[in-house]
Amino acid sequence: MRRTRAVEAWTVEPLDRFVGETGARLTLLMTPAGQVLAQQGFTRAVDVMASAALGAAIFSSTGAIARMLGEREFRALNHQGRQYGVFLGALDAPRGKLLVLVVYGPDSSLGLVQLFFADLAEQLVVAAPEPEERHGPILAADFERELDESLASLFGR
Amino acid sequence: MSLVNFTTREITCKIVYYGPGRSGKTTNLQYIYGRVPDDRRGRMVSLATETERTLFFDFLPLELGTISGFTTRFHLYTVPGQVYYNSTRKLVLQGADGVVFVADSQVRQLDENIESLQNLQSNLIEMDDDMRSMPLVLQYNKQDLPPQLILRPPELDEALNFWGLPSFPSDALRGLGVFETLKAISERVLRKLSEEASQ
Repeated sequence: MRRTRAVEAWTVEPLDRFVGETGARLTLLMTPAGQVLAQQGFTRAVDVMASAALGAAIFSSTGAIARMLGEREFRALNHQGRQYGVFLGALDAPRGKLLVLVVYGPDSSLGLVQLFFADLAEQLVVAAPEPEERHGPILAADFERELDESLASLFGR
Repeated sequence: MSLVNFTTREITCKIVYYGPGRSGKTTNLQYIYGRVPDDRRGRMVSLATETERTLFFDFLPLELGTISGFTTRFHLYTVPGQVYYNSTRKLVLQGADGVVFVADSQVRQLDENIESLQNLQSNLIEMDDDMRSMPLVLQYNKQDLPPQLILRPPELDEALNFWGLPSFPSDALRGLGVFETLKAISERVLRKLSEEASQ
């Protein structure tokens, strides 16, 4: 079974269960700005980040249409292709809204994904920790030196 | 809004390149994409019209490396510059940690620069933010054009840079000023992130 790769450990169990139940090919949990918290099934980091940015953009742009229609937002969206479908759903975690992007193939279905998405959303809300308390500066006082070195190596200088 | 994970020690920040149409926002990202090694950047995604004008955004993820023990990533976005795409501009601006305003140095584009800067401020205010609190730097692009066609950096500072922000002359096609601009906005974004955490 493919493993969930998580930035945040509390996401692993609910996502593993969701993928086991639905047979989803790819699953991403992300912030509305497209920052990835967990991924399942994606093998290349490059595709993960591009998919998350595009998924967040879809959700954001349809949300704008929803507001024009007097709706608060569309909580779930589906795009159906010949072989694959993409499902996008939102959930409200303690730290704010999160998005789930699911790619499913012919061995699954939209109904199955929708059915277990409700469970996934509930489990993620229960598992999610409260927002972290921050104490003191995150970065060292002289972080600019490391930043300069990183950027210089990035640009081959 | 930046994502900071203390357990895995990762920071992800969003930087938006803003400015009027054809000022060189996409060119900045294309230059960065071309210069950065494959293993330090992701795929560049461009949602453009058939005539290569940005329709929604360009997106380029960068791996900066480790800073103060945190694996640091920047997600660079551009907005569509054309006036009538304001609704999509607002969407891209949501959650931004820093903004690079790319001005077109041509004399005849001055009004468009001012209009775009006002549009940035009004969109930030709608999001309960503003240009004084958002990390922001200015880039004066197309400084390679003949002198009679362009305004020099001091003149552009006078017209656009009301808050004395860092500003950089550039020729984004050839990369002049692109690195300096990215370095300046990176510093301001990370400085603000660190200061907010200590409050």
